[in-house]
Amino acid sequence: MDLGILFGFIGTWVLVFWALLSGGQIGMYVDVPSVIIVVGASFTVTFFALPASTVKGIIAIIRKAVFWQSAPVEKLIEDMVSYAEIARRDGILSLENSTKDIDDPFIVQGIQMAVDGTDPELIEQIMTTELENQMERHDTGKAIFDTVGKYAPAFGMIGTLVGLVAMLADLSDPSGIGAGMAVALLTTLYGALISNALALPIADRLEKRSAEEVLYKTIIIKGVMSIQSGDNPRVVEQKLRTFLPPALRPQEEKEAA
Amino acid sequence: MITVTRLNGKKLVVNAELIRTVEENPDTTIKLINGDHIIVKEPMHRVVELTVEYGRSLRRLLPPS
Repeated sequence: MDLGILFGFIGTWVLVFWALLSGGQIGMYVDVPSVIIVVGASFTVTFFALPASTVKGIIAIIRKAVFWQSAPVEKLIEDMVSYAEIARRDGILSLENSTKDIDDPFIVQGIQMAVDGTDPELIEQIMTTELENQMERHDTGKAIFDTVGKYAPAFGMIGTLVGLVAMLADLSDPSGIGAGMAVALLTTLYGALISNALALPIADRLEKRSAEEVLYKTIIIKGVMSIQSGDNPRVVEQKLRTFLPPALRPQEEKEAA
Repeated sequence: MITVTRLNGKKLVVNAELIRTVEENPDTTIKLINGDHIIVKEPMHRVVELTVEYGRSLRRLLPPS
């Protein structure tokens, strides 16, 4: 797990609680019915907006967002170059033995197809389709948190309106107006918190994760294509390096440039 | 046209007139003029032999078999 998420999550909530405490006692901000309407309705409306099968995967998706560590692209390129070297030295068939030591099923699949003599276009097509489907799966995961983030403030608003209507219906006791108003506004606060301090950051994180995985797999596809066409390992390396931002490229290259 | 073998053992016929290069790196890679490449089991010299044979048969320089 990346420490940033711990820092970000805990830091954000600590700051919020600090703000709450400095405004008065914490008890002032707790209102059980308000919590129930905002949290409950944001959750149930997700089922309304998305198919239940999508929402069911929510635990797995949270785990993905939290425990995700970006895979080292540099290492991947080194690996691909070493496979290119093997293919160049001993022939592409010898790569079959190396596939046993590779962890990533995507690389194994690509190299296996290259070894089997599949058409290059077909390999590229199969691998690209796989990548597209993965992107789509990631999008549905993100959609859950986007939905919660989108609706939670609205339910906060609704809760506030409900509270205001209840308050305005009986104005006989002027001293109760302030307190009623305060409770009514609480739901808006909860909605904004759920949306901005929970759901939307997770959605953004998932999006970033998806983008990184797409880059990772694109490099794999290009690498396999390059190995399949019998490119020189140096060429494979150069080709794959172009995917890296200049900051991540090795020192020597930067000096040469 | 020449008959060659893919790495998975399948036979395949290549239009010998469209070959641009044949390379051993160390798999024999036949590159066609449209950029396609095919990796075959036959060693490079065998591909050349086949191509020459095909050229001869085309120009009736071989006795009909």
